[in-house]
Order: sequence, then structure tokens, then C-alpha cells
Amino acid sequence: MNDKRNKLTVIVLLLVCSAISHGRIKLVALPERAATVIRLDNPRATLIEEERVLTLQKGLNKVDFSWKGVFIDADSIRLRALDHSDKVTLLSVSYPPNEAALVWDISSDSDYAETVRISYLLSNIDRLITYKAIADKAETFVDLKSYLVLRNFSGEDFDKARVLLDYGEAFEQGIDHEETKQMLFLKSPKVPITKVWKFDAAKLPWDPEKLENQNVGIPVSYRIVNEAKSNLGEFALWGGKARLFQDDGHESTIFLGEDVTGLVPVGEKMELYIGDSRDIVVTQRKMQDTRVVTHKNSRGDVVLYDTNEQITAKIENFKDSVAELTMIQHIPGQWDMESCNMKYEKKDANTLEFEIQLPARSQAGPAVKELKMTYHRRHLRPGAEPQLPVRR
Amino acid sequence: MKRIAIVLLILTAMSSISLAKVDLVTLPSRDTVQLTIYNSADMTLVRESRALTLKDGANKLQFSWANTLIDPTSLEMLPRTNADKIDIADLTYPPRVTNLGLWNIDSGVSGKVPVEITYLTSGLSWRAFYMGTLTEDEKTMRLKGYVVVTNNSGEDYENAQTRLIVGKVHILDEIAELARRQYPYGRPGQVIAPPAMPAPLEESTSRGRVMMEAIAGKSIRAKEVKKEGLSEYFLYTIEGTETIPNGWSKRLLSFNVDQVPVINLYKFEEERYGPSVVRFLSFKNDKEHKLGETPIPGGMLKVYRGAGDQGHLSYTGQSLFKYIPVDEDVELNLGPVANLVVEPKLMDFKTENYRFDRRDNISGWDEIHTFKIEVRNTRDINVKVEIKRNFNTQYWDIDYSGDFGAFEKVNLNTVKFTLDLQPRSAKKFEYVLRTYHGTREEDWRP
Repeated sequence: MNDKRNKLTVIVLLLVCSAISHGRIKLVALPERAATVIRLDNPRATLIEEERVLTLQKGLNKVDFSWKGVFIDADSIRLRALDHSDKVTLLSVSYPPNEAALVWDISSDSDYAETVRISYLLSNIDRLITYKAIADKAETFVDLKSYLVLRNFSGEDFDKARVLLDYGEAFEQGIDHEETKQMLFLKSPKVPITKVWKFDAAKLPWDPEKLENQNVGIPVSYRIVNEAKSNLGEFALWGGKARLFQDDGHESTIFLGEDVTGLVPVGEKMELYIGDSRDIVVTQRKMQDTRVVTHKNSRGDVVLYDTNEQITAKIENFKDSVAELTMIQHIPGQWDMESCNMKYEKKDANTLEFEIQLPARSQAGPAVKELKMTYHRRHLRPGAEPQLPVRR
Repeated sequence: MKRIAIVLLILTAMSSISLAKVDLVTLPSRDTVQLTIYNSADMTLVRESRALTLKDGANKLQFSWANTLIDPTSLEMLPRTNADKIDIADLTYPPRVTNLGLWNIDSGVSGKVPVEITYLTSGLSWRAFYMGTLTEDEKTMRLKGYVVVTNNSGEDYENAQTRLIVGKVHILDEIAELARRQYPYGRPGQVIAPPAMPAPLEESTSRGRVMMEAIAGKSIRAKEVKKEGLSEYFLYTIEGTETIPNGWSKRLLSFNVDQVPVINLYKFEEERYGPSVVRFLSFKNDKEHKLGETPIPGGMLKVYRGAGDQGHLSYTGQSLFKYIPVDEDVELNLGPVANLVVEPKLMDFKTENYRFDRRDNISGWDEIHTFKIEVRNTRDINVKVEIKRNFNTQYWDIDYSGDFGAFEKVNLNTVKFTLDLQPRSAKKFEYVLRTYHGTREEDWRP
């Protein structure tokens, strides 16, 4: 094992039953650390498993495990005899005062050179995942690469260890304290993508004309499905930062944008927001919002009313390619649609989703479509109207 | 000043217990470099090619970037040939040294191998600005677009192919912040502070000295800027290569179009602009206006007007404008003017149709406002005037008469009158607005 920085020590103490002394006696050769496994399958904690050969004597043995300059969860430390598990018994564990250490009392029925596996949770060593995707010029697929980034700030050097993730083969890797290593671990060429433009009326300004010298960018995302058809689907894709590039047709690339993705289980979609399109412009306006009183109390105050409302949204595609815009509209409370010139899907009680196919810009100018929806909101009580966080 | 250094180390002996013997073999220089500079974020994609001399077996390549603004997490190296025989095993950021990365390369070939190294850096920026020169009759304008590229990256880039990206990319971290991190990926458990407010680009670019756009004797014509669309962005590629030393800026002509037809548009909207009329210069980014080849990146336009036949100029004003897609209308706000006047006058006011509740309190009524609007063009050119009137309720009826031009309901409580006026002329129109209040709203029909 690396002797540059080895903060973990295991000492077999010979139990000397002579005079009672208060100081703990640390004796016997340091057993070398043999096979070491760094398990990174749980993103919240890293488990280290190391094997050492303990020279046990028949009878009671005390084995001292101590650490310095590293953070080990003392309650996580486990010991397992591998060669004579039925003959070597762990009797008890004690914790010496004011020390980062513990002492195992091990009973052995004979003298053995026993291989034991010590496992514990070690802090400040972990892994990150990053993605790099290069889209083709037509934006139909990406060449997806994923990198594993090992970060070791545990205080311990690992000269050679078997690194285990939650799937796939273990691999051998050494990593020193304060070292970061980046390795390619997934390469999936030609992963199909869907490009998505999304206008959410609750999130984006309605009338660009009212904004002085600012473009309203329509968020653009790439959608990737973690499935076999996409050359993926073997395992869940871990969350991490993704950087997207695009082939520019001149043997080079441009950087498209970056986003962070959560864990994507098999069969699920990953959506990466790359940037904003300023070539699709939505101008949404409220053209009507009138109140129809349905009931007044004996004092003549309105206690219940309906509304007649009309929303128009002009969508202009200035791009020289077709696009499919997902438009999200919100109507709070109880409502009935009177007329709507486009098909929508009711995503929930108050959310309408439109998939709008936009042709490319032509000689005549931008491709224009206009959504017009007229609806009634029902049974509204003055002062207690349901609200949605809608920006105009 | 070259801050980026590459050292190729070849591990020749691994057997002895002592540290492996390390031989320094070569310092490959940059063969070509390409810069792709963004302006919506302080970020540049650098792609450089270098020829490494590899030996069969394990090679270590050290890349250091002290005093530059490189994001170490963006570093990538790819062999341009023999890709199947060269395995880039990992990239290590060794402990207790900063600004240094070590590639472990297992090579199945021996000899020169061209590689491509890419990374993101901060400190290079570009911006667009424009100069417009109106003809005396203000019917057309010569429009010149410029790009100014500034290098404050800490690294000199010589003979670099320079490309500019127009568009708004989504980024999570400031590249400058990533470049300053002690550990490239941070450390476990560390909460990475949200990036400080990004440094205003305008400020940093203004620090750079400006170099004239043409180097005397080098080229007779100005360099062309090739423009093409990619995804949601536009890529401007500057012809040939550029040398932009650290701290310098360079201005290049992006386009030069003469006789762009313009409309002198004046707008009046009290709630938005106050009592003055605001002048706009309007045209369209399309073929009819000799434009429309690509979108126009946002920037500052300074507008001049030809004065006399000696080529003198008078300064008209300036306008910051946004990104303009192809075929979109451009409206450049040149500020308030006094030579065009819009005067709305309330000529009559009355109320009627009172409603009373059971206790004989007023519960509803109508208000009738009669406005006369006079529009005077004191200029000697044709103008177009847009007058917007906002009402404080959506329950209204309107009757208009006179020279009102075109009428449009903009939204539920805004209307617009659009008038064309001849030089030194005036127009008058009138409208009667009935608004419904209280319970009278219930009687209103759209």
C-alpha cells in the first residue's frame, strides 16, 4: 500500500495480561492492506472495503483500527473473517476514549493468518458524472459521451483500488488524496434527439412589443429517451452536467449550451435545455375579459359571477426550418371552453398544452399561426378568485 | 504571452520501487487555433491542433494554464489519426498543484500524432455595433455593421481563425468562476457558491484599446464575414485568421448596405413615453430592404444624417436594439422629438345612465369623453405616426371620425390610430369614448 499517506492503521494487539496499565499497548506488525474496493454505487456515501491479513493467535485477540486525518463513520465499520468465518468470532467492539479508533475483540480457535474484510463509509471521496453530446448539423441525433469524475479529498491515498459503480465491471484505478480523475465511461453514438421549443404563458412575457430592446427567448431543449432504440437503455443515466455541442459542417463544432440532468431511469426521458430561440416570436394578448354577474345578495352586492375571456397568441416562425412549438396556457378555477381554433390536450384542471406545427419562413415572410381561444370562467366569488402566477 | 504550455512526458521505467523516471520529450507548439466567441455569455470555445510525438506504450501529457481563464473541466483531447490505436485513458488533475492537467495516453503507435485539444475559456468577447447614415430626405439609410472582438483572456492568440456566435446559450456556471476554482470539480460536500454577478461585457470590452480595422499594406479589401445558421444560433466566420494579443480589441466590418429604405415612424403613447412624440426609424430585415441574409445581432446604432453636398454629417441619435430575426420589423427608438406634435384635448366630458341600488346609492354609470387629437408634422419629409390610447377599463365603446387613418384594437383596453402625414402638414380627428362603470358593466356587449 502506498506509504505516502496512509491514515488508516490496523494493529493486532497482543493481549498482555500482566499488570494493569492505563495506556493502550499497540504492538505487532501492521498488516498490509491487500485488495481494496471503492464502492460508488450510492451517491450519498462511499463505501470502502479493504482486505488485510491478520495474524491471529489462539484465544482472544485485540485488533486496533485507528484513523487520523480522515473522516470515517465509526458506526459503519464492519469486520468479516474470510478464511475461517466459523472459527474466528468477533466478540465485541470497544471505542477508546478521545481517539479516532476502535478495538475488536476477536476469538480464534487456532493460530491463523486470517484474511479479513474491513468495510467502512469514508467521507470526502465521491464521483460525479458529466455528459458531452455532439449533435449533427441537422439536429437529429447526438454522439453521447459520459465521463466519470472521481474526486478524492478523503485524506487517504489509494494506490490501486477496484472501483465499483452501480452497474458494469469494476475497474482498477489509483487515486491520491486531493486528486481528481476524469475517465470516459460511456460512449453512445447516434442517440436520436427531439428538439423541443416551449412557450409557457405563465413563465414568459406576453407582448414582446412592451419590452424595450429585449428579445423574448423561447426555451429550446433536446429530448433523449433512455431506451434501446436510442442506443441506450442498459442502465439508468446518472444525473450530472451535460454540455452540448453541434457539428458545424466544417470539421469543427460550436457549443450549444449546457444543462444539468437528474437521474434518468431506463425508459424515461432526459430533457436538456440548451438555449433560447429568438427566431420564434409569440405575441399573446387578452382581447376580452368581461364579467357576467350571476348572483347578487339582498344588498345588491355581487356575490357570484362568470367571465367571458378571449386570448389570442400570434406565433411567428422566422426560422428557415420547420419547428414544433409546445405552447402551455393556464386557466385558473372552473372553466368551459367556448371556442378554440387549435387542438389542445388538457394536462390538468388548469393547464392546456398545444402542439403547434410551424412551417419554415417563406418568400412571403415568417410563417404565422394564431391561436384564438374564448372561454368562460365560472362561479367566481369577488375577492376569492383563483389565481395563477401569470405574467403579462 | 503564451500561458498555455504542453509538456509531453514519457514514462520509461515503472519497475523500480522508486518514482518512475520521467523523460521530457518535446514541447509541441500550436499548429492551428480556432476561436468561437460567444456574446451572450463570457465564453469562448478554443480548438487547437498540435502534433505530439508519442511512444509506443504509456505516455503522459501535461497541460498547464496558469494565469489564463480556462475552464479545466472542459478540456478534451482527441487524436486526429490512429484514433483506434490511441487510448486516452484518463485526465488527472494532480493533487496540490494548480492549473495543471495530466493526460494518461496508451499509444499503440510511435511517432507524430496530430491531436485536437478543445476547451472553454473566459475573457474573449465580441459585440456588434452599427452606424447608420440617412440621406437628406431620410428615405434611405446606409447601414454599416461592425463587430468588435476583445481579448482579455490572458493568452495571446496568433493567427487564429475567429468565429462569432450570435445567440443566447444556456449556461449553468460562469466560465471565469470555473477557471478560478481551486479544484476543477470542487470537492465532495463543498457547496459551490452561486456565481457572482457576471462582469458586464460592455465594461470589459471598453477597457481594451481599439485597433484600426485594417492593417495598412496587408490587404486592399476589407475581410469578409461569412454568416450561416446553426441550431438556434448564427455563426459568423471572419475570413482568414486574426492575431489578437491579450488586452487588445479588433474591429471588423460585418456588413455594409446602402440605400436601405426606412420609414420615419413617430409614436405617441402618454402612459409609456409621456407627452412627447418619440421618433423611431423603421425598416425590415428582409430582401426588399437589401438585408435579410441573416438575423442582425443586437447592438448600439448611431444614426447620422447627410448635411449638404460636402459630405458633412449631422448626428440624429442613437438606439440600442435587440436581435432581429430575418423578415422581422426593426423599430429603432431615437428618442423624443419636438418637431412632430401630437396634442390630445379633452373637448367634452359627461356622465349618464345612472343606476341606483335599493338604498338609492349610485351603483352604475357611463362616462363619455370626447377627445380631439391634432397631429402636426413640422418636418419637410413624409412621416408615419402611431397614436396609442389606453383606457382604464375593458368595458368601452368608441366612435371615431375625421382623419384618423387606420384604427386597430390592440388588446382589451388599448387602441391604436396610424396616420401618414405629408411634409409640413397637420391632421385632426376626434373620438368619443363611452366607458361603463359599476353595474353598467353588466349592460355592456362586446
